[in-house]
Amino acid sequence: MNWNARIREAFASRGHVPDGDIIEELSQHAALAFQRARAEGSSQEAAERQVDELIEAWTTDANALRPRSEQSTAIEPPVTSRSLGAGLIQDACYAVRLLRREPGFTALAIVTMALGIGATTTLFSVAYGVLLKPLPWPNADRLVRVTETRGGRIGRVRGTVMNGAYLAWADHPATIDGLAGWIRRTQTMTIAGGEPRRVPLIAITPSAFPLLEARPLLGRSFAEGEGARGAPGVALLSYGLWREQFGGRPEAVGGELRLDEQPYTIVGVMPREFAFPDREARLWTAWVVPEVAGPQGLLTGVIFSALARLRDGVTPAQASAEATARARSAPDASTVAIALFGAKEPIDIAVTSARDALTQDVKPGIVVLLVAVALLLATATANVASLQLARAATRRHELAIRAAMGAGTARLTRQLLVESGILGLAGGAAGLALSTALHRLLPAILPADFPRLDDVAVDWRVLLFALAISLITSVVCGLMPALGARRVDLAESLGDGGYQSRSSAGARTARIRTSIMAGQVAVACLLLVGASLLGRSFVALVNADRGYDPSNVLTARISLPAAYSMERRIQVLEGIIGRLRGVAGVRDVAYGNALPLLTAGGFRAFKMRPPSDPSIEIDVNTIERVVSPGYFNALGLRLTSGRSLSESDTMSAPQAIVVNRSFAAKYLGAAPLGAMVPSLGMCRGNSDRWQVVGVVEDMRQGAVTDLPQPELFLPFRQIGCTNAVADPILAVRTAGDPVPYAPILRDVVRLEAPTLALDAVMTMDDRMMTSLARPRTYALLLAGFAAFALAIAGVGLFGVLSYSVAQRTREIGVRTALGAQARDIVRLVVRQGLAIAGAGVAVGLAVSAAAVKSLSTFLYGVAAYDAASFIVVPAVLAAVAILACVVPARRAANIDPLRALRHS
Amino acid sequence: MGTTLLERELKRGSAEVLILALLEQRQRHGYEIGQLITDRSRGAITFHIASLYPTLYRLEDRGLIEGRWVEKAGQRRRRYYRLTADGRKVLKSQRDVWQTFFLALDRIAGIS
Repeated sequence: MNWNARIREAFASRGHVPDGDIIEELSQHAALAFQRARAEGSSQEAAERQVDELIEAWTTDANALRPRSEQSTAIEPPVTSRSLGAGLIQDACYAVRLLRREPGFTALAIVTMALGIGATTTLFSVAYGVLLKPLPWPNADRLVRVTETRGGRIGRVRGTVMNGAYLAWADHPATIDGLAGWIRRTQTMTIAGGEPRRVPLIAITPSAFPLLEARPLLGRSFAEGEGARGAPGVALLSYGLWREQFGGRPEAVGGELRLDEQPYTIVGVMPREFAFPDREARLWTAWVVPEVAGPQGLLTGVIFSALARLRDGVTPAQASAEATARARSAPDASTVAIALFGAKEPIDIAVTSARDALTQDVKPGIVVLLVAVALLLATATANVASLQLARAATRRHELAIRAAMGAGTARLTRQLLVESGILGLAGGAAGLALSTALHRLLPAILPADFPRLDDVAVDWRVLLFALAISLITSVVCGLMPALGARRVDLAESLGDGGYQSRSSAGARTARIRTSIMAGQVAVACLLLVGASLLGRSFVALVNADRGYDPSNVLTARISLPAAYSMERRIQVLEGIIGRLRGVAGVRDVAYGNALPLLTAGGFRAFKMRPPSDPSIEIDVNTIERVVSPGYFNALGLRLTSGRSLSESDTMSAPQAIVVNRSFAAKYLGAAPLGAMVPSLGMCRGNSDRWQVVGVVEDMRQGAVTDLPQPELFLPFRQIGCTNAVADPILAVRTAGDPVPYAPILRDVVRLEAPTLALDAVMTMDDRMMTSLARPRTYALLLAGFAAFALAIAGVGLFGVLSYSVAQRTREIGVRTALGAQARDIVRLVVRQGLAIAGAGVAVGLAVSAAAVKSLSTFLYGVAAYDAASFIVVPAVLAAVAILACVVPARRAANIDPLRALRHS
Repeated sequence: MGTTLLERELKRGSAEVLILALLEQRQRHGYEIGQLITDRSRGAITFHIASLYPTLYRLEDRGLIEGRWVEKAGQRRRRYYRLTADGRKVLKSQRDVWQTFFLALDRIAGIS
């Protein structure tokens, strides 16, 4: 009999149908009344008639049956099922219903887990893709980078070898299958009828392609001997450049392009995935490593990167031994070696895994972030476990009844594990979605020069990892309340709710939650200390004195064709800066062959008699900058004595140079001004002698942490030879923000020299921030993790205190009844909160003190035991703890003693 | 006519206390409440069925009782009512009022 429909109909005929729940309640009543009538012997018809009368009676006062506010359905646990599979499904359904009943708890748990799992999965993916994944070449484990050191010193360009060592080894090596070398260049490319543009390219030995087992998509790769001096130029296009510049047309192969005005034949196109040495390379040109002994007995020293493939079964140490032995007996361009290494010998050739060489710079950072994110995951998991514990405590009644009805410990544990498993999987799925989104953001989050970002992707390993950590966190979260459930004592839980029994059960939960809480505060403390140190270090890096003033400076590089004479060069450059000087808002304009964070210019080694003791000869090893007179003002270099270079330092005037403080201190002694520096190898014939006219403060070419190097500054107009100034750099100091001057700069260059292309147009501030991208990223990520940990700790503390206040309602009621004032109660709660936070901070500071040592390599201008960090962090945590206490404390203070006592 | 009016007033006034009293020991559903009133008064108080649910909802609105749906595996969900703390207070004061009223009736009219 469908009473529901019948009742609905009856009400409808009266024009008022009550709420569905009411209809349902009435129809149950009807069903029961019908059953009873039948049981008492009424016929079917008579029973139906009775019920119809009943329904009729209800409809007479239909308006009294107003809709009620929505109330939730209590959910009874499932009865134990015989088969495990069916039981699990039953448990899962039950768990889903329970979780839907508590959307707040469920959402909080899932979001917390998602953030922890998402962050951990992403970082795992980065760590795996960058540090562990094999390089994308066949048999990549045998690829090694070859680097040279002399007397233990690395070259000015890191990770490079010199031609002497390379050629000595390349000739029938015993330990390697092949050796390849390359140099990074930026050149002006012109394709018939097109605008000139600057392209980053790689000049590479033909041996590289068989070494990498890389084949071109179209055409051929370089043949042995191509790239030699005097041989016709050949080039391979990257897939990207081929699509962009040649529209992906196969006829491009065999065509021609010009690089710095020199013709090159395009012999092939590399496949899309070929990125060597990285994605920056748009083009490869054939190159042959020059012999050390050049024509007319001139020694040539070239420094470049090199890669080798180890023979099967050969260790890097064996290869290194062979390379070193050969390099030591090879002809050597020793003056170049001194300029590039600061020492001649002994030569050592190091052979390291190509992957490790590529990623060694970022490895420490990734490891620190991995540790941080693991702590974050731990604290997120602990938070969900703590929430589960609190829920379990309120569910003791249910668990006790079920235990009494025959559900064994295993059965209850299973139920709780299924429940947290569902939470964990939901959190894991959300975390994975978050991680996938983060993967897309990685190129924006991580510094541009972060290696191997192409290799970071969500693949099956990442999926497996996310699943594994979801399951681990689920088990941890489920097991804690399950362990509590094991001890559920029926009498205790179902007893008259006596104060004693309830408090002992609650106290156990409270103790566990308090310990978890203190741990979370400790984790937050550790992460905050780390973030504070990295943050302060980053600020110190930004504000550090570099010897020049990076604000309001616009810089760009301009490539002058090799065919331009020195006079032509100076004419073009002077023309450009002359026009720029006329632009409103431009303060100083200069050009030179060097710029901090871009290129050091040249290196020079020579012998000199120091003014303090002319009887001896010393080896001088210096950075050499060729600059226009305005260079010092444009970059904001500080003159410490003498004068800077001036407009009158021309070919006809006496040769003048400016040195930096390090040069003066190291080579010139107490009276540097007036000292004579001998031949610098400039094209001045017999008059190649230079007088020091001024000393400037040291400036940092690269990182502010690098030691200052001896430097000398030569006037552009006095050197007379072009090879020192192939690609001059323009520096423009402006009155305000230099960014709007970039288009003006381009226009001026176009007007003055229409065939020349500008590149590296960037403000000095941007250059500096780019160079600090890694410390900034590490600091920001750690700060993000710390903020998350702090939020978890704050919310967690709030939860624990609220729970504790609820547990102690009766006690607080008694205290109030006995005359305790509101402020005494508030003090009680705040004291508890601060005790937990205090314990956590104590542990956190102790762990931090031990852990910060591992951060010291990341720190600049701030000590690992930075007092401010170690004072501010506990203060922040104390403030958060007090904030977390406010609501529970007020709730406690408002407890009505009479109600509290009756409630118990 | 007068008798009916009195009867109605009495019933109305007593209906609430009857329901609260029945929920004092444990939670019950609507049909059970109606049935118990009829059975325990041995039919003397046949609670007018039309007013049972409106009374229940009124009590619920006033926060004296609390209804909730309970679902058991293999059964239709049912709506159970139970006494709230406020309901307990009101029941106690109602009992006092009725006691005083009966005492008075006994003293005056010899009704006990």
